[in-house]
Amino acid sequence: MSYVNGTKIAVDSLSVRYADREELALGDVSEQIDPGEVVVVSGASGCGKSTLCKALCKFIPEMIPAHVEGEILIDGLSIRNIRSQDIATRLGLVQQDPDSQICTLNVWQEVAFGPENLCLPREEVRARVEESLLAAGISHLVNRETTTLSGGEKQRLAIASILAMRPSVVLLDEPTANLDPQGAKAIFEIMDDLRKNGKHTLIVAEHRLVPLLRMHPRLLLLSRGKVVAHRSSVCHKDLEALGLRADWNLDLPPLPRAEKATLYVDRVSFGYEGISLFEDLSFKLWPGEILGIIGPNGGGKTTLLRLIAGLEKPASGCIARDGDPGVGFIFQQPHQQIFERTVRRELEVDGLIDSEDIPRVLEGARLAGLENAPPLSLSLGEQRRLTFAIALSRNSDLLLLDEPFIGQDAKNVSWIISQLVAARRHGTATVLVSHDIPLVASLCDRLLYLGERTFIGKKDEVLCQLREAGETAFTPTYWEQEQG
Amino acid sequence: MIAKVSYHKGHAGLHRVTPMANVLLLVGFLAAVLVSPSILVKLGVFLLVIGLLVISGERVGSFLSKTRFVLLFGVVLFIAQAFSIREGNVLLSYGLVVTDSGLLAGAQMAFRFLVIFSSSVLFVLVTDPDRLAHSIEQIGIPYRYSFVLVLSLRFVPFFRKEYRAVRDAQQVRGINTSIRGFAGLLRSIRYTLFPVLVSGLTRVDSIAISMKGRCFGLYAKRTIAYKEHWQRADWIVLFLFCLLLATSVLARKYAWP
Repeated sequence: MSYVNGTKIAVDSLSVRYADREELALGDVSEQIDPGEVVVVSGASGCGKSTLCKALCKFIPEMIPAHVEGEILIDGLSIRNIRSQDIATRLGLVQQDPDSQICTLNVWQEVAFGPENLCLPREEVRARVEESLLAAGISHLVNRETTTLSGGEKQRLAIASILAMRPSVVLLDEPTANLDPQGAKAIFEIMDDLRKNGKHTLIVAEHRLVPLLRMHPRLLLLSRGKVVAHRSSVCHKDLEALGLRADWNLDLPPLPRAEKATLYVDRVSFGYEGISLFEDLSFKLWPGEILGIIGPNGGGKTTLLRLIAGLEKPASGCIARDGDPGVGFIFQQPHQQIFERTVRRELEVDGLIDSEDIPRVLEGARLAGLENAPPLSLSLGEQRRLTFAIALSRNSDLLLLDEPFIGQDAKNVSWIISQLVAARRHGTATVLVSHDIPLVASLCDRLLYLGERTFIGKKDEVLCQLREAGETAFTPTYWEQEQG
Repeated sequence: MIAKVSYHKGHAGLHRVTPMANVLLLVGFLAAVLVSPSILVKLGVFLLVIGLLVISGERVGSFLSKTRFVLLFGVVLFIAQAFSIREGNVLLSYGLVVTDSGLLAGAQMAFRFLVIFSSSVLFVLVTDPDRLAHSIEQIGIPYRYSFVLVLSLRFVPFFRKEYRAVRDAQQVRGINTSIRGFAGLLRSIRYTLFPVLVSGLTRVDSIAISMKGRCFGLYAKRTIAYKEHWQRADWIVLFLFCLLLATSVLARKYAWP
């Protein structure tokens, strides 16, 4: 193996301001990263984690226009006058969305893409593909078409593709954000393997910190573009002291008895292209009840929400509502629900919110001052809160929420929870899809697991069944306690 | 309605030939229907395309179902042409006039359209875009251009999915985007096209970063790890290509019906 010997990175007074923004995305960051280190960069959504990763690889400002001050030195050499491609054999970036970084249609071709660009001999390309697939644990997928892979498999493919460049520094920008717990667990295991083989420096932008603790990383905590805390060999206590471990012990009161259910799902079966997602699924959702849906990607969670909303029709069985057929539905990708030029106009589209109420609604959603901002210029977390506020404004007796917590910091998660608890009190039933297992386990009255098998019931019962079935990634323990 | 036509792996018929041979065959089909004025040749070529679909393991039923709206458009073309041409012997005069020239022109137009469309679909179904890109590189075309093709194909399912999600979001929010008048058209563009485009552009940024991060464009040439070799099946396709060209030239020269 001919890895470049450890690369040393020095960041000196780095500030980044995006071309269309007034505030700094990164402000006066100085840091040194030594070969073999594991550095975790954490902080709330929009704190500058991705900006730092992209600036280190020179994608900022080369591809994303921004004003950059300060210096980044790689092995003592300033990157100011070199191209991002010249850095790519030393620093490799794995991005957040696994789907958006695959540029070919076949697994082998995807991993070979980088070595081919380096004009390496064919034998060397083949050797690198084999070695990288093995390191990412996806040798068995070598002949698959990339479009047929699951989210977790795609992210492992993205890692393999970067490893094929044999960089000494691997940067992972929220690599688990879009993955189900199983997929995320596999990515954490690959990171641990990379650390153990001792050939890579790892820089990981991540908000799920507990699974990273076994790697004894150095923690950089960012807030509004500035480094606000450093911890070396971070542990549980550090996370608690820095407020990075949220304890969602909600302990909600039992629901009052209701005569009629809000939603009836009766022996519903559904599948796509010959693959069955669920068969004879039955449950009732009572007023105020919060049903959490968990399970692997592709298991049918979003499809079930779509069936309930009437966007799909069941193959058999029926879904019935008592009362108002409307729903407050937030999609996993908020931009798909955004249509207008300003936040104010977006809130007015449905005609459900009075103009005078808009400042109050925005303040509630922690979006104050963004009334005239183009909604698509908001961060992902802000877009989600906007669509959530719109869904709440429908005053429907049923809320369907697909991953509302992605991209939210602890304060924003608390706000969403407070709204759900208030809705619960007023009798609004909620179906909540989320990969945040500890939060779902704490907030929901019942759980529905959609995977190879289906479990539904009181949350303790379902979690117990999952433990017995060996699906540890879907139990809170994995995400709350340090492993191995 | 967007037809769901995309490449999928197979081992029969045209799946076994090299992508450049498939390009050649497509050129042959297009030349045959554009050069030859003969309706019989067009009909023959259309049947040949359907035959090759079957040989390549594609189900004709599935092909017809996926492309039914486009096929229907072919029928509309035929009817429109048949009723709009008044020259020739009158076959039917019942308010509207149908002549033999009109029917012939309609059939010409419809079959030309159907062959162009169905042969393109056949090409997409049986040609691996990655292998095609490599083949294009192999014949000396700069790899930047060949990757435009691969990336375009990568984006087709994405845009289909995004379009559907945006329409669903409109339905959930009760937003009416029916196209009535110019204002309705603008509203529909803003509410549908705009979110789909924005999402596409975001994805383009990520893919560009992913490609540059793996040294795309660093050198003028790149290694082609997978080389295409001309095989026996390719010679058969080459023969078919020559046959198509010869037939269309002869049909034109001797004015075949």
